[in-house]
Amino acid sequence: MEEYGRKLPVELKRYDDKSDIGTMANLIEKLILEDKVDFLFPPWGTAWLFAAAPIANKYGYILIGGPGGALKLKQIDLPYFFQVLNFSDTQAPALAEIFEEVGVKTAAVVYRGDLHGIEYGEAMVPFFEERGIEVKMKKSYPPGIKDMSSLLKEADGLNVDAFVAACYPDGGMMLTSQSMELGINFNAFFMTVLPFSPSLFKGTFGERGVEGVMGGGAWNAKTSPGARDLVDKFVNLFGEEPDYWGGLYYWASLQHFRQAIEKAGTLDQKKIRDIMASERFDTALGPYWYDEDRYFVNHPGEIGQWQKGVFEVIDVGEKRTAPPLYPKPPWPKKK
Amino acid sequence: MMVTILDIIIAGMLLGGIYALIAVGLSLQYGVARVLNIAHGEFIMLGAFITWTLYTAFGVNPLLSLALCGPTLFLIGYVLYIVLFSRLRVRAASPGAYEGNSMLACFGLLFIIQNLAILIWGADIKGYSFFAFPVDFAGARFAANRLITLGFAIVIGLVFYLFLARTRLGKAIRASAQEPEAAGLMGVNIDRVLALCFGLGALMAGLGGALISMSYKIQPTMGLEYTMIALIVIVLGGLGSIPGSFIGGFLLGLVGSIVTYVEPGLALVAYYVIFMMVLLLKPKGVLGK
Amino acid sequence: MNGRITTLNRLQRGIVPLVLLAVFALSPLVLKQYALILLTNTFMYIILAVSWSMFSGPTGYISLAPAAFFGAGVYTSAVLGFALPFPLIVITGGLASFCMAFLVGALTLRLRGIYFVMFTFGLVELLLNFVLWWEVTVTGTTGRVVPPLGNTTVFYFMLAILACLLLTAFRLKHSKYGFALQSIGQGEEAAAHTGIHVTALKMNTFALSAFFMGAAGVVMATRWTYIDPRIAFNPTLSFLPVLMAIFGGLGQLYGPIIGAAIFTYLEEFLITRFPYHYMLIFGITMVIAIRYLPDGLVGLVQKAWKQWSRRKHGAAQG
Repeated sequence: MEEYGRKLPVELKRYDDKSDIGTMANLIEKLILEDKVDFLFPPWGTAWLFAAAPIANKYGYILIGGPGGALKLKQIDLPYFFQVLNFSDTQAPALAEIFEEVGVKTAAVVYRGDLHGIEYGEAMVPFFEERGIEVKMKKSYPPGIKDMSSLLKEADGLNVDAFVAACYPDGGMMLTSQSMELGINFNAFFMTVLPFSPSLFKGTFGERGVEGVMGGGAWNAKTSPGARDLVDKFVNLFGEEPDYWGGLYYWASLQHFRQAIEKAGTLDQKKIRDIMASERFDTALGPYWYDEDRYFVNHPGEIGQWQKGVFEVIDVGEKRTAPPLYPKPPWPKKK
Repeated sequence: MMVTILDIIIAGMLLGGIYALIAVGLSLQYGVARVLNIAHGEFIMLGAFITWTLYTAFGVNPLLSLALCGPTLFLIGYVLYIVLFSRLRVRAASPGAYEGNSMLACFGLLFIIQNLAILIWGADIKGYSFFAFPVDFAGARFAANRLITLGFAIVIGLVFYLFLARTRLGKAIRASAQEPEAAGLMGVNIDRVLALCFGLGALMAGLGGALISMSYKIQPTMGLEYTMIALIVIVLGGLGSIPGSFIGGFLLGLVGSIVTYVEPGLALVAYYVIFMMVLLLKPKGVLGK
Repeated sequence: MNGRITTLNRLQRGIVPLVLLAVFALSPLVLKQYALILLTNTFMYIILAVSWSMFSGPTGYISLAPAAFFGAGVYTSAVLGFALPFPLIVITGGLASFCMAFLVGALTLRLRGIYFVMFTFGLVELLLNFVLWWEVTVTGTTGRVVPPLGNTTVFYFMLAILACLLLTAFRLKHSKYGFALQSIGQGEEAAAHTGIHVTALKMNTFALSAFFMGAAGVVMATRWTYIDPRIAFNPTLSFLPVLMAIFGGLGQLYGPIIGAAIFTYLEEFLITRFPYHYMLIFGITMVIAIRYLPDGLVGLVQKAWKQWSRRKHGAAQG
């Protein structure tokens, strides 16, 4: 696997949404046309992926969707695009199922005004209602909001059992610290993008601070022997735990990709693509394959919850590594 | 706990205190030194990150960091003015050309400072918990750290106002703002005074940043947001007026809090609508004649 | 007799641009795909920088609204999609920006100096946040997919817009309106006294410059294929053209062209070699350019040329 080539677009991650989509589009075409790379790896973030996938597809380059992605991509026909992560259509029902099991009756949903937020915000409501959970509040907030206390207070005033946020790390950090500061505690506190990051989330609020918080994801070292191996390798290499949403998925997708390339015995994108689209290979996540839409569907759902410093998988069923902690304990008292 | 009118008003005040403080520095820089410092937010960010570093690495109380952030940022601002802006000012064909050029130079500074910060601290969100507990007041509930921030913002603003109004140096600054030529004739070293103003603006940004880091999450790219808010506030309060900045700050905070309660998605839209209306209808600020 | 000489002169002057246009028009035949993409990108920046300086250069009004006008074009492209033949969409996008700029011009008649700067920048942020809110709450989405066009098609459309713009800018500069704009920059009251319709001229020129920005936005959207409000109304696209124009020099029409070309190349060079330091180097270049090149690159070259010819002249005399 020496021929991975360069992957410059990844550098743009550092500027995230501040950077320029035109530049990224140019760079991807540069990689393909100028540097003639053998393989292409995706940029970070849903909007970026959305912009990159059609370009890669145009040139017949395989693109495995890493961080980010959206259901909407399914509507465009992109035969060279493979999607790895779980989205709202599998995570929302899994969350609703957990909520029903622990006895959540009412919920408040807030979501970020962007592709990610809208998709999750919209997807969750019908699944909640289907399981008899009443959604008493549903509001969007703009990226760059400076104060979310009125959202929290309103939800608190409505006395909801669960507070659900489809957010990005900026909003998630603000929601967590403001509910701590205001002493507002919900029986269930779920955020999509943030809790899965040990360095960002646990690192900032501490093990006791994050106890009982639920998040999108999820996997941990107990998921499989391969997962334990990945955590060990990652900690050895970087001195911190990996992200518990995508980490294992990307790893497994690369293992699958690698076996497909080996089986193809060529760098021909078309041949590798055909093998990837049809074959199953064994990975750290267990058997790994894509469905007819080229979505990885073997591990649907996946909701996590911080319990004693571990991001436990609490999905109903055999993936569960620990039962859900409900109600969530109160935020730690300040010394 | 319901959201009451009192809740909304106090939340607006808490937000407004910060808005006011970060606007005072920008107002001074533009009002006297004629530099529309688009990089103001980057100075705020530096103050915030210095405080964060001192707290997480050495356990220094963020309130103590105020004493360090202020002077450090003052020095940076002062030197920048001497090296960059004074030369632009002397060379400019007209005051208008100077304002244009110095603003563009500030864009350059924005990129430089922001990217240096990314290289030093990384691009991720950072934060720490400080006085993160609730305080109950007349049935409304607020975070202790935001109350502390508000208190310090008011005290700092008041001290600063007294400095400008009462001290000799303050009078020299005000004289330079009103009649640069006359001030020069009176023996005031105009370049030194303007550099001082720019430095003081940076100092206020540094203090604002330190206070912001106590209750908000911080990021190297956070600057422009705060610059924009400070800009709106000084337009609201009238360019160059310190009391105006405070009134503008609280006004904007209140608007933000009300709109966020009604429809959070429109909070920023409301800010810019107000900004542009004031520019069009009362360019001297809501208090201006 | 006199008339014939000017016609001849005109012909000669017209030949250089025509040859250049022909060279660029044929370039897709020889250039590699990626070079074509880069050239398209350069054209986009030249269009933004030249149309910006068409209004702001002579009048001295620094507008930070290019991103708003460009973004209006981008959204036109996304909303209309395949509903109209593409050339019509380009014109519609241009007209949308034209109307918006006309309205902004009418609103901001009284604003001078920094107030105008702030208003125009506020416009970008207002549009960004409003469209964001509109898309989230009314249409229930934020991203839109734009039907893609081939790289060569995009190139030709960009080239056509650029050619029209340069022709317009050239004609304007050398017409009586060009001189009138210049006198507005030197003093609006005095200009009004000489019988110039200051208001009408300002509004029309501002709107005309926005037309080209909007048209460029329509074309560029088809290259990006996916857009959302943050991509369409990216404030950077307000700053960059201004910098490019000032860096190149506002005195001559070719100043912003050179500025934009150098900046685009610099960006391409830096971002691939120094991805982590690219914005830093960019900022430093900016500060140095403003600190040491008051009249832009063109001004520097002119000054050096003058000095050199004077020295040569002096040496010949002595």
